[in-house]
Amino acid sequence: MKNSQLYKGSLTTIVMKLLEENGRMYGYEITQKVKEITKGELKITEGALYPALHKLEAEGVLEVEIENVDNRLRKYYKLTEKGTSETVNRLAELEEFIKNMQSIVNPKLT
Amino acid sequence: MKLSAEQIEKLYQFTRQHYVEYYDLQTELVDHLANAIEEQWQQNPKLSFQESLQIEFKKFGVFGFMDVVGQRQSALNKKYNKLVLNELKTFFSVPKIIGTVAAIGIVFYLMKQLQGDFWVVQSFFFVLVISYFAGMVILTQRNKKRNKQNGKKWLLKEIIFGYSSSAGLINLPIQFSLHLKGENYHDGFLLLFSFLLILLGLTEYIMLVLIPSKAEDFLKETYPEYEIVN
Repeated sequence: MKNSQLYKGSLTTIVMKLLEENGRMYGYEITQKVKEITKGELKITEGALYPALHKLEAEGVLEVEIENVDNRLRKYYKLTEKGTSETVNRLAELEEFIKNMQSIVNPKLT
Repeated sequence: MKLSAEQIEKLYQFTRQHYVEYYDLQTELVDHLANAIEEQWQQNPKLSFQESLQIEFKKFGVFGFMDVVGQRQSALNKKYNKLVLNELKTFFSVPKIIGTVAAIGIVFYLMKQLQGDFWVVQSFFFVLVISYFAGMVILTQRNKKRNKQNGKKWLLKEIIFGYSSSAGLINLPIQFSLHLKGENYHDGFLLLFSFLLILLGLTEYIMLVLIPSKAEDFLKETYPEYEIVN
């Protein structure tokens, strides 16, 4: 991930937001989607994505579905009911954070 | 171009060679690698299977899959602890709480009567500890046998059958029982003691009997693929 320290704390929120928009997704699809949206600026590393997904799953935020695709099993993640309401909270938190960062980085002169 | 069944099997082998023991994790990583390789072939059809696999594996960093395995382990340990806690809670809510309170009462009464002969209480603890270890050994053996039969390991199953993070818990009763002496203990202390004894007994029962007996349900719930491949 580009400048990973700054993005690290937001990874789970990014994943939840994507799942909220797209319904269900699998790991590789998530990495590609982020790359596509940010035009390659932000790359989620495999080593960070799967632990984040597994943690959210253990917390009951995500649930999994399995499908047989192209000779192999594919694991899809989607938000649980708890996850859907949690996403709203986390997005609000993230927006608040962005706003605060903006006022620190670009303080308006009064 | 899509990967063949044979190449998928090679990817499974590759994950095993890189210390991913568990089928649930292998499956997810195999699909990831397969997608990535197919994507590479679209950009550059001349790349060989091995070449593109190495390129993708490098993206996981110097520790390879170790990080993913480790984190998955801690996530599922947490899940297991939650399962134990949830079962434990049922013993402290209606209707089971009646039995729990009664059991605490009986132990309390016995201890009050047996204060002079604390060796009796100590042997209770002794039985608890011994049966815990014996139970763990039996469960582990049984699971090993089953694994040999179908060759697939599931992380949550390993945690349920034998590998348990709470082995340290059992140290507590040993310490307790060693410090007991035949003195006149305060009622409050005896009550607390009875409570702890029952709590440990229940935890042991849940870990060794209850959860293993429901293991199939927990596994199916955690792994949708469990039924497909077993």
